[in-house]
Amino acid sequence: MASAPFQFAGDSESEDDNFNPAPADLSDEEDAEDQDDDSAGKKHRRGSSPAADNDPDEDDGDGDEPVRTSKKRAREDDDEEENAADEDDEGAEGDGDEDEEELEEDDDEEEEDEDEEDEDVQHRHRRKRRKDHRAAFFDIEAEVEDEDEGEDDERDGEEIEDFIENAHPDDLAEPLHDDTRHRELDRRREIEASMDAEKQAEILKERYGKRAHARGYNDMAVVPKRLLLPSVDDPGIWAVRCKEGKERDVIFSIMRRVEERAGTKDELAITAAFERGGPNSVMKGYIYVEARRQNDVLLALDGVLDVYPRSKMILVEIKDMPDLLRVTKTPTLEPGAWVRLKRPAKHAGDLAQVLDVTENGLEARVRFIPRLDYGDKSDSFSMGASPAQRRRPGMPGPRPPQRLFSEIEARKKNPRFLSGNPQTNTWTFMGEEFENGFQVKDIKIQHLEVKDVNPTLEEVTKFASGSEDGTENLDLKALAASLKDSNNSVAYVAGDVIEVYEGEQRGVVGRAVNVQGDIVTLKVTEGDLAGQTIEVPNKGLRKRFRTGDHVKVIGGSRFRDEVGMVVKIVDDRVTLLTDQTNTEITVFSKDLREASDIGGQGSLGQYSLLDLVQLDPTTVGCIVKVDRESMVVLDQNGDTKQVMPSQIANKLPKRKLAVAADRNGSEIRVDDVVREYGGQQRQGKIIHIHRSFVFLHSNATTENAGVFVTRAGNVTTIAAKGGRTTSNAGPDLSTMNPALKRMGPNGPAGPMQPPKSFGRDRALGQTVSIRKGGYKGLMGIVKDTTDTHARVELHGKNKIVTVLKVDLVFKDKITGKTIDIYNRGGRGGGMGGPGYPGGGDRTGSRTPMGAGSGERTPAWGSKTAARTPAWGRAEGSGSRTPAWGDGSRTVNPYDGSRTAYGDGNRTAYGGATSYGGSRTPAWSSSAKTPAHDGFGHGSKTPAWGVGASSGPSSTDPWGSKTPAYGGISAPTPGASGPDGWGYTPGPSGSSSSHAPYDAPTPGAALSAPTPGAALSAPTPGALSAPTPAAISAPTPGAWQGGWGADAAPTPAVGAPTPAASGGYYGAPTPAAFAAETPAASGDIRYADDD
Amino acid sequence: MFFLHNLERRVTLHPSYFGRNMHELVTTKLVKDVEGTCAGDYYIIAIMDTFDVSEGRILPGSGLAEFTVGYRAVVWRPFKGEVIDAITQTVNPHGFFAQAGPLRLFVSSHLMPDEIQYDASATPAQFTNNADIVIEQGTHVRVKIIGLRTEVGEMWAIGSINGDFLGCLQG
Repeated sequence: MASAPFQFAGDSESEDDNFNPAPADLSDEEDAEDQDDDSAGKKHRRGSSPAADNDPDEDDGDGDEPVRTSKKRAREDDDEEENAADEDDEGAEGDGDEDEEELEEDDDEEEEDEDEEDEDVQHRHRRKRRKDHRAAFFDIEAEVEDEDEGEDDERDGEEIEDFIENAHPDDLAEPLHDDTRHRELDRRREIEASMDAEKQAEILKERYGKRAHARGYNDMAVVPKRLLLPSVDDPGIWAVRCKEGKERDVIFSIMRRVEERAGTKDELAITAAFERGGPNSVMKGYIYVEARRQNDVLLALDGVLDVYPRSKMILVEIKDMPDLLRVTKTPTLEPGAWVRLKRPAKHAGDLAQVLDVTENGLEARVRFIPRLDYGDKSDSFSMGASPAQRRRPGMPGPRPPQRLFSEIEARKKNPRFLSGNPQTNTWTFMGEEFENGFQVKDIKIQHLEVKDVNPTLEEVTKFASGSEDGTENLDLKALAASLKDSNNSVAYVAGDVIEVYEGEQRGVVGRAVNVQGDIVTLKVTEGDLAGQTIEVPNKGLRKRFRTGDHVKVIGGSRFRDEVGMVVKIVDDRVTLLTDQTNTEITVFSKDLREASDIGGQGSLGQYSLLDLVQLDPTTVGCIVKVDRESMVVLDQNGDTKQVMPSQIANKLPKRKLAVAADRNGSEIRVDDVVREYGGQQRQGKIIHIHRSFVFLHSNATTENAGVFVTRAGNVTTIAAKGGRTTSNAGPDLSTMNPALKRMGPNGPAGPMQPPKSFGRDRALGQTVSIRKGGYKGLMGIVKDTTDTHARVELHGKNKIVTVLKVDLVFKDKITGKTIDIYNRGGRGGGMGGPGYPGGGDRTGSRTPMGAGSGERTPAWGSKTAARTPAWGRAEGSGSRTPAWGDGSRTVNPYDGSRTAYGDGNRTAYGGATSYGGSRTPAWSSSAKTPAHDGFGHGSKTPAWGVGASSGPSSTDPWGSKTPAYGGISAPTPGASGPDGWGYTPGPSGSSSSHAPYDAPTPGAALSAPTPGAALSAPTPGALSAPTPAAISAPTPGAWQGGWGADAAPTPAVGAPTPAASGGYYGAPTPAAFAAETPAASGDIRYADDD
Repeated sequence: MFFLHNLERRVTLHPSYFGRNMHELVTTKLVKDVEGTCAGDYYIIAIMDTFDVSEGRILPGSGLAEFTVGYRAVVWRPFKGEVIDAITQTVNPHGFFAQAGPLRLFVSSHLMPDEIQYDASATPAQFTNNADIVIEQGTHVRVKIIGLRTEVGEMWAIGSINGDFLGCLQG
């Protein structure tokens, strides 16, 4: 430092002066205190020296305050300098200056009037002038001025002109001089007029030349800096080697020497000396001395400690001079600040905290978390700071993790190297010091990363928790300071609510409306300034939140992208409760911004929270946490693992229709609420069903986002999802009216999946006529069939063609009459004909299937069995018996059983009934039991014929045929018909016959287990056994409904739909229809369940 | 806070239901669709009545009929700063969850008076000041809502019991 800065300050002051035009005149009023021209010349020179060049920078950086103080001191300096000023150069300098100044002369014409000094006095006054306009900027001005004025008064007589000339506003204000001023002006004009032009020009030149010089400074902000650069006329600067770290001391001793020798005959002939040392400076180890001659430097430095002028002295090139004084703000290290280590390599990048900075500012004592392996084998390895370590900076191989020093461990591994004091918890281990578990070390500042430290809260917390009592001793100020260094990373966006916490505007809160570079434009929302728009620098700002705000984490925190609500704010730290996992996290407010979007996080690519994903062919899992690049999955075994999206085979679509059976055998579906049986009895809502596993979600726990997995058989239903219970509420109005379903064009045929026949297709060998296509009208014999097609050997051509079975009309071989081959049982009538030609066929053949499925519905099974045994038996026996009795066909037993089921089902479901009816007879016909016949007959004909009329007609046959039946149907004759209808709605829930249509029906899903077994059982005995059960099983529900309907013809229940159905079907007995309403059936069913 | 709110909704009806009692069906459907749902920042508690069922308009393409129904409903809208009573559902070290009607809220431990501490050793776990205040599962609490989040079909709030007259109701 020393004199150099002072000098510059002096110069800068002269620039400053020039902002004020007055000073030039002021100077005139004083008699030059013998300042000779040297000083003036010197000043000019200095003006063009590099120092001057740097002034603006310095000023900008420092602000007003420093300038002012330095000016004061600069003043003192001037004197010294003047003494030391070099006379030789003076003349030349002056000339040079004038030339320069001429250029700018024009600008100054407006000031002409004021200036009246003659050339003689001019030089003399320069010095004084400087002093005075300097004074204009001083606080002490007042005192000084008093003095001056005193002087002025004395000098009034001789210097009155000058005095009056003074345009200083203060002076103008003095009424005393008003009068003189006018006179003075007149006189001056007179003189000017009398002078000859040439002389006048010279005067002006002289006069304004000087001033122009000053003007040059004045314009400096705009004027090219090159004009201010040092030239060959300026003194040279020599770089002199000195001891590193002692730069400042050297300068101070030079300064002392200058003071000591000032005024003596061997005063120092140097003009300035300065240093640019510092731990990170490239200019360290040198001081810089400005002087005219190298010898002056040598003389000045002779005998000064720690500086080596005798070694090579470097003359700084003119073009490099400005760079010497370039100001770079050096970060200051304060104890408590956070830094990152560059060395030792083992700790490269680790966070450290400054404990102390050595006096010379070269080293800092820092503490950090050691990376020790307490290794006994390689001392060098464990000693990060050992020379061996340092020599290979790359530090290959893994380094031990950061862990606080453990005395116990050290003692165990390497007691020899351990020494220390357990009381203070300070230890020395292998040459390293440890305090409270932290390693403490003196590290050169250049080995520290001081800027952009950006400590994360996690890192910092490690330090905090390190204190022995476990209390948090976070020095938030230091942390905040470290963070502020990296403030540039804070991005404010328009819309952010921002608080100014530093500077004049402190406390102002507003919403950012615009951000440009470092300047944030705020619209103030609170306080006196509300509504105003102000601009503030980015530096003293922080984002502001309130509890309850919905925010999203941005920036570098590991919580990035979490979204949550603020629950607590302490200074810069904001605690928020995340939306996804309901956990609390704490982050810096700079890492937050208000979340406009909901959720935010929660999905990674195509995978989102709570999705079911396939991990490998045997493993599925539910995503319970989504991070930026990975996610956590809870697999079916209850294990959580972290996976990358690439590790996921695929996402399993949510199967809304998936059904499982709970512990009690009741069906459970997605969204049902179930409770674990045994174990922790956790309760949750089913989010996925996968095979026998159910994934449940519960709000009671936050672990795994509240998801847990268990087996379907291990839960019990608490509440079924709304859908099933509320089915009472009324029909589903957004889908097709269930009552109408059967009426649709493909209603009857459609819903009743054409049953498959067993054994030989009866179409084989039949004579058929083709109804459609190119072979329309031709007759032939069926040679072969598939499910849908038949190969027909044509009579007319020797050719076998393949035709859709549906397009065939079966003919009697002999009579040529159209027959229904599936209903051959003696009834030649065109059964299949009317409504559903094809359907008839199919039904016939496929009945068993339908029946099978019907029987399988577990729900049915249990309930029905219990409830309508009588019926089941009666029916079963009725239909079956004959079949069995017949025993002629293997198929028969099945048929029999099927029929029974079919009946069961169908009876329940109207439509089914007719099928069953039609089929049963067909089959049974072979058996020829009259009962059968009647049964089948009755049901078939009418049922098929006309949907609407089926009710009554079918009822009759049934009633008449099977006594049991009769009994049942007796009470409400119409009811049985209705039954059929009535169930229709129900089926979707429970009936098997509808299974094909209503995919969801458990019946479909469940069909696999029991029925197959029952049906396939070859032994009649076996069959007979199952049958009843089976029968009773499926039907019950249906029957139940039927019964319910019958028994309770509650019109109320029927009310909602009945009217409609009545209308649609034109059924004669609306009451009966009423009974059918799903509501009725539903009610009953559920009631039963309970 | 509860409000009577006039609302409007478009209801579609399957063509198979077209007929005499269509308006009744529309109302039924409306009730079924709307009651008990969360409509953004309020819950529709009950539908008082419907008025002005518009003429049905067949939607091209689907054949469904669309009715515009005006109705009056009781709605409940929780506000920031509102004080409500709730029942504690679960308690964990960070705070407790409570339910106020359809609204779930969370009261963080930061938002309780300092003297109320989590006590994990109690069964069930509870927040207590070791005196009169015990907040465990099932406790009735009075909570001030300090933050609200609305999602599709769901609302979610955080509350505070840090204040006069807030907290445990039995206490």
